Amino acid sequence: MALEIDSSILGQEFDRAVHGPITAEELIDFAKALGETRPEYVEPGPGLVGHPTYCVRYRGAKFYPDTLPKGINIRTGFDAGKDIELGVPVRAGDTIEVRCTLHEVYEKTGRSGSMVFVVIRFTLVNQRGETVAIVDNRFMHR
Amino acid sequence: MILDLHLHSELSDDSRAPVEAYLKILARKRDERPLDGIVLTEHRQFDPTRDYRALEDAYGFRILTAAEVETDYGHVLVYGVNADIVARFDFTNVRLPAQELITEVARLGGIALPCHPGRPTVGLCAHYETKPPLEGVVAVEALNGGSRRGEDARVAELIRSRGYKAYGGSDSHLVSFVGVCATEFDADIRSIDDLVRELRDGSYRPVDFRQRRPA
Repeated sequence: MALEIDSSILGQEFDRAVHGPITAEELIDFAKALGETRPEYVEPGPGLVGHPTYCVRYRGAKFYPDTLPKGINIRTGFDAGKDIELGVPVRAGDTIEVRCTLHEVYEKTGRSGSMVFVVIRFTLVNQRGETVAIVDNRFMHR
Repeated sequence: MILDLHLHSELSDDSRAPVEAYLKILARKRDERPLDGIVLTEHRQFDPTRDYRALEDAYGFRILTAAEVETDYGHVLVYGVNADIVARFDFTNVRLPAQELITEVARLGGIALPCHPGRPTVGLCAHYETKPPLEGVVAVEALNGGSRRGEDARVAELIRSRGYKAYGGSDSHLVSFVGVCATEFDADIRSIDDLVRELRDGSYRPVDFRQRRPA
């Protein structure tokens, strides 16, 4: 049966959460865990910034909105990847607000049958109102 | 003239391949994969505003655009997409009626050709096992760069039994796969209209460059 998607649900914010203040130790530990050695990521001081992938550690308090179309079985699925658009870097002392929206819902068919993809967008904004990153989290459901 | 008739760029949800990166690979591997151009077939969409002329000029390859849509007989490549075709069919619908698509696209000036027909679930062969054959099919993708063992062999039997023409495409979603399978045309192709005409009436054949790696 075809999935009916009401386009008015797309783009709606369904959750907002605040993280931080972020410490220099957190930024350095994250970078070192990746094997990073460049000084801007691992040495304390005014030049320290978060590694570009640091933004993926943040999420809202709520996984999915209540408005998902009926017929999507959210108990069977997996993480199908992320697209990250970077803004200003994360710095020690920053607080990060995560604004969660339902960005996209679509179907596709493949070798193993039909699938539904749900894309949840996290827009990360710091305490100065600057966009740190836009993270599109793609999940696949049967 | 040799064109890869089936590949996806970062505009498709399951590919991260920039078009320019495809061209760089083709330029570097010209001896191994002697292509003249590519036809971008993004999944379930067609954007008429895409303009690749600057890349064509920079790299010397022909770049044309088409679409891969999903139907009740599996996936189909639509060449010669125009405003009438876009108005007639919702490309995001994953259950498009294949017979209507093939007939109407032809009437509206394009051509719709089933791709990877040997693939389970989304290939023509699987649907022919339970449904009547489609009318008006001109050609099917006999060589697909993403085929698994036995899938292209099923297509060979389909072509033999139905008398379809055969074409090839890499179905590349990754930069390094571009041009591993393609289609060789006898005629020169300068535009999407030329391509539609040649696919419908011209002489062409699938070519496989996967075995031509240098020693």
